[in-house]
Amino acid sequence: MAALKPFAMPKWGIEMTEGTIAEWLVAEGEPFERGKVLTAIETDKITNEVEAEAPGQFARIVATPGQTYPVGALLAVLADGPATDAEIEAFLSTFKAADALGSAGRDTAPPVPPEPAPAAAPAATTIPDDVKISPAARRLAEDRGIDVGAIAGSGKGGRISLQDVDQAGRPPAAGYGGAPVSIAVEDGDIETVYASPLAKRLARQHGINLSGMPGSGPRGRICKADVLAKLPPAAAPAPAPTMSQAPAAMRPAAEIVPMDKIRRIVARRLTEAKQAIPHFYVRMEARADALVALRAQANLFLGARISINDFIVRAAALALVEEPECNVQVHGDTIHRFAYADVAVAIASDKGLVTPIVRNAEALLPQEIGERTKVLIARAAAGRLSHEDMDGGSFTVSNLGMFGVDGFDAIINPPQGAILAVGGSRRVFAEQADGSGAFESRIAFTLSCDHRAIDGAAGARYLAALKRLIEAPEALFRR
Amino acid sequence: MAQMMIREVIVDTIRSEMRRDPDVMMLGEDIVGGMGTAGGPEAIGGIWSTSTGLWEEFGSNRIIDTPISESAIIGSAAGAALAGKRPIAELMFADFVGVCMDQIWNQIAKFRYMFGGKSRCPVVIRLIYGAGFNAAPQHSQAVYSMMTSMPGVKVVMPTTPADTKGLLTQAIRDDDPVLFFEHKALYGVKGEVPDGDYTIPFGHARQVRAGEHVTIVAMGMMVGLAERAADLLAKDGIGCDVIDIRTTSPLDEEAILDSVELTGRLVVVDESPPRCSVAADICAMVARRAFAALKAPPEMVTPPHTPVPFARELESAYLPSPPKIMDAVRTVLAYR
Amino acid sequence: MQLSRDELLGAYRRMATIRAFEERLHDEIAKGEIAGFTHLYAGQEAAAVGVCDHLSDDDFIVSTHRGHGHCLAKGVDVKGMMAEIYGRATGTCKGKGGSMHIADVHKGMLGANGIVGAGAPQALGAALAAKANGRGQVGLSFSGDGACNQGTTFEAMNMAVVTKAPVIFVFENNHYSEHTGPAYATATVTDIAGRAEAFGIKAWRANGCDYFDTFETMREVLDYVRAGNGPAAVELDTERFFGHFEGDPQRYRGPGEVDRIRAERDCLQAFRQRVTEASLLDHGDLDAVDAEVLRLIDEAVDEARAAPVPTPEMVLEDVYISY
Repeated sequence: MAALKPFAMPKWGIEMTEGTIAEWLVAEGEPFERGKVLTAIETDKITNEVEAEAPGQFARIVATPGQTYPVGALLAVLADGPATDAEIEAFLSTFKAADALGSAGRDTAPPVPPEPAPAAAPAATTIPDDVKISPAARRLAEDRGIDVGAIAGSGKGGRISLQDVDQAGRPPAAGYGGAPVSIAVEDGDIETVYASPLAKRLARQHGINLSGMPGSGPRGRICKADVLAKLPPAAAPAPAPTMSQAPAAMRPAAEIVPMDKIRRIVARRLTEAKQAIPHFYVRMEARADALVALRAQANLFLGARISINDFIVRAAALALVEEPECNVQVHGDTIHRFAYADVAVAIASDKGLVTPIVRNAEALLPQEIGERTKVLIARAAAGRLSHEDMDGGSFTVSNLGMFGVDGFDAIINPPQGAILAVGGSRRVFAEQADGSGAFESRIAFTLSCDHRAIDGAAGARYLAALKRLIEAPEALFRR
Repeated sequence: MAQMMIREVIVDTIRSEMRRDPDVMMLGEDIVGGMGTAGGPEAIGGIWSTSTGLWEEFGSNRIIDTPISESAIIGSAAGAALAGKRPIAELMFADFVGVCMDQIWNQIAKFRYMFGGKSRCPVVIRLIYGAGFNAAPQHSQAVYSMMTSMPGVKVVMPTTPADTKGLLTQAIRDDDPVLFFEHKALYGVKGEVPDGDYTIPFGHARQVRAGEHVTIVAMGMMVGLAERAADLLAKDGIGCDVIDIRTTSPLDEEAILDSVELTGRLVVVDESPPRCSVAADICAMVARRAFAALKAPPEMVTPPHTPVPFARELESAYLPSPPKIMDAVRTVLAYR
Repeated sequence: MQLSRDELLGAYRRMATIRAFEERLHDEIAKGEIAGFTHLYAGQEAAAVGVCDHLSDDDFIVSTHRGHGHCLAKGVDVKGMMAEIYGRATGTCKGKGGSMHIADVHKGMLGANGIVGAGAPQALGAALAAKANGRGQVGLSFSGDGACNQGTTFEAMNMAVVTKAPVIFVFENNHYSEHTGPAYATATVTDIAGRAEAFGIKAWRANGCDYFDTFETMREVLDYVRAGNGPAAVELDTERFFGHFEGDPQRYRGPGEVDRIRAERDCLQAFRQRVTEASLLDHGDLDAVDAEVLRLIDEAVDEARAAPVPTPEMVLEDVYISY
């Protein structure tokens, strides 16, 4: 019977966690002498040949050249002579690769934080002398009638501090967290410069390149004033027309209005988007009768004023979750995919076209979307949309249905991957499932997709999902 | 109760502990002084006169006058402690801690932990520190903040003659390594010293003044400045609760928190530069644990983030002072 | 002076234990089961054992990052050490020190040390304690040819002379300070003991791959130091069979170098040859010791593997005695 030993991924230095087998230099069953080079292993630091420490042979070679294995992983089985398959299998079944980082504490669960102390019933109390509590904390607890027995003191040996009592007497804090939030850094190039968040936001808005710009803040930090100084001066007022320039015909001259800031930004961004993004368009109509009926019912029962658009935003968001290939942002050579749907809503306000975001629209019911949208519309009208209101999103819904248009094609709002153009509801005489003819309401949808990230089939699947949701709209009231 | 200067208290305490326990020994540069000179041993008696007469009484086996070799002084104190002794090592200037940092930081502070709790290293390192003598950047520093951040050592800073006796006795008898910081400018301070056996446990702060408007936390040399400031402010009707923390490690967090819960306002006075200082540490602790009690942001009175300068005018601009402390107190009171 | 049969068997057992301990660790570490840095002592066994065979638990040694041999030679428990290296709660240091920080003060082993050169002043301190005790104890520092270039070593040697401390500086010259040879890194190249002589310390030189040469030399050294003559230094010429640390690819070694030193300078083979040729012991005696040692190491590994890992609460323990 041959003596078998593991030939495992070595650990060359404390940082080595894995290595790649470059090649095997001996074959299975080929006897070798001590010092024979058996294999070459690459790490991120070196490539090293591994010599035989003793004469023998490989009973079994386990590891494949080109593959990477963790330290301690079984690469081959060493034997001092020929071994039977049964011996090798028995050996393999007993070998357990150890964790290179050591096993201590691996399986230990982190300590469970203590439950927050419940608020106690207010009733004046006297605290026994032997309770470990600071004098001020004792007074407060007695004044407010807080049961200190229920407080886990934060001090040495569980001693209760004023803060402990104060916190115990308050209602629980509003919770944060739950749905995942995006913590991705935007505009990678801008993030590499040393600038204040406001300066970066302004730079992004105005398309100003911050790299190499000297900053006037501490240690050269670029601040708001530095960016504002780079803005082009406000357009000079148009010269008043003179009589000599007056046209012969008695028509008033064109009113020359300089673009305001928002219009300038919109103009620049749309130009860039239309030039830079390879748009393609997918169209589909959906029957809207069920949706119209459901809306009427819901508004009656809920006493709400949910618009058709609110339903469409919810449907658009649910379809994005269903068809994640359309739920993307495009950043240079990378595509950012999202598990949630932040949907921008195009709003034509006096201040211009804006696209604030309804966040997590997939999780909001139509009436909640309606409330959220109303807030955004009010802010847009007042010109008070914040950066947070506008920032991000993977998708925009642009609805011109209220103007009676049949349909239209929209320009994508980068870095979002797609935009949905919604036409008006039209009455159409159409063949029904039973072969008869009847009038029905239809809404036309055009989906504009960024072809760099989204392919035609994905766009089509998306519209099919949207159509299904619009035509069976009960699902839109499901959480 | 005898009236004694702090330097006398130190010799006296070491002498009585050496008489009491034959394992106590002492090492340091010039602690005998005059060795190998025409003047002969004890020609100096220690440059701070904190070891005068000890060599004559205890001899060269227990009072070891060393070459200028800080690593060997602290390293051999470490070895002697592991071998069962209670050595007291003197760093003539705390600034020299840089020379022997490895022996403190990687060795003494970590032995017990590395060895799984199966050893003890009862070393006392006496570090003579502090500015105020125009001793320039390498002989004036208050390095205790740096040492306080080190797990495995205790950091002690006596302020009064009585505390010096109680804390040094405790340090020598303590089974853990102790860094005992003596301020040069306090050696001549005179005061009542309890007779007989007297120890003060570590981690017990001393309330120096009782007031209800602002808490002032100070240590070492800074305590006297805080007292002066508090006395002047009291005349204006401002009551300051002045706390001498005595030991920065362990720290009597409860004494500080109890006071801040009462006053809602905190000023910390610290002789070390502000970054990662004891002052910053205490402010952070209070912000974290007494947020509910605070009525104003905590203030720190520390030197600037610079070395200690030489010239008289520069050094006094560098150091905290009663007027600077009073300004800080008025700042926290003015907060709305 | 002729050693008894029991003394010879004991010396061989101690050396064989170190060898088996290190060879086994070499195999186990390759499997990735042991965390961190481990520095093996194999090849230098005659030095540790030849020195420590003159010491009792009442004498103090300090060691280096390559300390397993010194610990075992000074009598630290084999199983406790193995458990420590495996990072187990039952280890010598409860899993808080690992390979580089094994200590047992009750055995006079004041600690292996991760800082090269840190030990010399500590051995001096232990010697000063010994001198104050007046019972003829000594302090002894093991260090390598690397530590002989640290300032701490020089400070300690000077202060040892000044204080006439009963301290012995043992320099094990294994010809590598980490991955660098003395021809480059040590100004006096082949002579470390001469540095001690420059401080006025009496120095000896011996073959650290020969138990008998080391043992006889150390007898003189210990007689000299215990008699109150002050410090001594010893340079032992020895060999490191493995790399600086386990996993060191050792690309600095010459062709066939390890095979040559294993063939020509193996202290266990030399011991075996010497005692069998002189008919002091026969091969069967030594083989029996080898088998017994392998069993012990097997048990130590099995027990270490099965031992409990430290609990998270243990992070907080043993920083202070009271705080």
